[in-house]
Amino acid sequence: MTNLVQKQKMNKYIVLLASVCLLIIGMILHVAVGSSAVSFTEVMKAIFAPDDSKQTTIVQTLRLPRAVLAALIGASLAAAGALMQAITRNSLASPQVFGVNAGASLAIVIAFILFPDLTSQSTVYIAFLGAALGGMTVYLFASGGKTTHVKLALAGMAVHLFLSSLTQGVIVLNEQATDVLYWLVGSINGKDWTHVKILLPWSFLGLLLAFGSSRSISILVLGENMATGLGEKVKWIRFFAGILVIMLAGASVAVAGPIGFVGLIVPHIARKLVGGDYQRILPFSALLGAILLVYADILSRFIAYPFESPVGIVTALIGAPFFLYLARKGRNIKQ
Amino acid sequence: MKRKHSYQMLSILFLCLIITIVISLGVGAVYISPGEIFQQIIGSSPGSSFILTNYRIPRTLIAIVVGAALAVAGAILQGILKNPLASPDVIGVTKGAGLFAVFILIVCPTASMLLLPLSAFLGAAAIAVILMVFSYSQGAKPHTLALVGVALGAICQAGIQYFMIKFPDDVNTTLLWLTGSLWGRGWSELWMLIPCVALVPFIIIFASKLDILNLGDEIAVGLGERTKYVRYTLLSMAVILTGLSVAVVGSIGFIGLIAPHIGRRLVGSRSKFLLPVSAAVGALFLLIADSLGRGVMPPVEIPAGIVTAVIGAPYFLYLLRREQKK
Repeated sequence: MTNLVQKQKMNKYIVLLASVCLLIIGMILHVAVGSSAVSFTEVMKAIFAPDDSKQTTIVQTLRLPRAVLAALIGASLAAAGALMQAITRNSLASPQVFGVNAGASLAIVIAFILFPDLTSQSTVYIAFLGAALGGMTVYLFASGGKTTHVKLALAGMAVHLFLSSLTQGVIVLNEQATDVLYWLVGSINGKDWTHVKILLPWSFLGLLLAFGSSRSISILVLGENMATGLGEKVKWIRFFAGILVIMLAGASVAVAGPIGFVGLIVPHIARKLVGGDYQRILPFSALLGAILLVYADILSRFIAYPFESPVGIVTALIGAPFFLYLARKGRNIKQ
Repeated sequence: MKRKHSYQMLSILFLCLIITIVISLGVGAVYISPGEIFQQIIGSSPGSSFILTNYRIPRTLIAIVVGAALAVAGAILQGILKNPLASPDVIGVTKGAGLFAVFILIVCPTASMLLLPLSAFLGAAAIAVILMVFSYSQGAKPHTLALVGVALGAICQAGIQYFMIKFPDDVNTTLLWLTGSLWGRGWSELWMLIPCVALVPFIIIFASKLDILNLGDEIAVGLGERTKYVRYTLLSMAVILTGLSVAVVGSIGFIGLIAPHIGRRLVGSRSKFLLPVSAAVGALFLLIADSLGRGVMPPVEIPAGIVTAVIGAPYFLYLLRREQKK
């Protein structure tokens, strides 16, 4: 018995170590690869001993912020997804499937058109508003109790469709469409340190609070009665976790647009690797989400080389088949 | 529900439909009064006949057929998936049609007008086939079908976005098509919808099977139905209806989702009455949406798809809440 526990613990550390290594390799690759290749030594030199060379400029002002942003957004979205799966006790929950992303997008598109000279600082708050709108529907469902997994997924899909068709309508009736369209797919192309600065506080705070409250969230998964019996204030935890989701997903969407599927698939992978305890799932989801998005962003440069494709397309191409797999497996998805 | 009540409901809906048709024919950049429309129909020819025969009449007919087709498709899907939230748009069939159509719109914009509906139809069919293949091993269980549909929809969505980003010049036509609009549709598009009408007798024959499926798989098998086969036949019918509709007007949402709900409230869930009533409600819904889009601020037209979303979504949310309380 102790042997098994020890083995599990070992496994956990191995997984942790491997993921951290993967993330670091990914970040370096991310900085090095692109339309102008930069060698490994040059990357190191640009980071630790910056000079006036062209490589340093590319790395410092273009590549590095983008890599950091990819990792941050991946971590935020994945953690948001894990939180949502915990509060709804539904393995299909994610910011995208439940219209949180779509709500934030709609709010931002409307804001773009009404106030064209909006600063990117204030779009974050608008995104929060929209994300809250989408998240509210989830909350209403989660508190209802008896809804089945599939019904929840279909309902979320319908809300998502509604919000995105409104977004489309707003764009059709307005002429300055193309910029917004690119943003709508979800892309971190051409972002710089200012965007990192906008996202970092929200992301950091959200992740920290999520990790801090992970024990209560684990208990939530046991079911409402059990959690209440264990002395948890279920309603408050749900509400609090909902706020965290809005913070994490909303800020990510405000910066990079609605990047889909990260929040859906990463918590599943994390659960496979480290078991069903949210005290472990949450940090691992964040880590794996960062890895996923960093590599997806590297891939996005090659799909239509030499042009960049939005990273949202890559995550959809990876994520949707995974969703299919989940749907087919059906074992975890009770009707 | 009483049979008599159902027939009454149908005739009331029919009456509403006629009134809406007259309004729809009259509304637009050029207003035509009901009197003129009546004169036009009985044969004497005032000045507005050109607008009526070439634009308004085919457009109105298309709205009726498409609205009815989408509503019936939605009712069938909700029946076979045993889920009141299913509809062609939610399970990805509409998105599949959209992907193929966008491909044609962008890659060969000079292609003949006939290619667009054909490819849209192919897209819907392709999604349906994949849907069937993926769900086959599980015996076409409702929840697998639904989830696979959602995932396929997401893949198609990514494809559509890829095309739009790759070819930003054609974005406006594409977007307009994706939102769904009846603008500029005429007689030639109406003829493409003939298969929908031709499908009606088959749907009537199969309608009763829907009721049997509703009893649950065990009972249906006990009654001698091959459930898988019945489900796939009904699914194909829904796909044909959706594919053709999307081909002609673009991806108009929420009709297939909402019309069957209204139908169920009016006459209950027996397919014999539910399907025709849903069809009437769907036709009415699209006709009203189109007239509103045309009439609110002429000469600018709001795409019908936006109007259906704006009307449909709040109603849908209300439905969700009610469902929740049960």
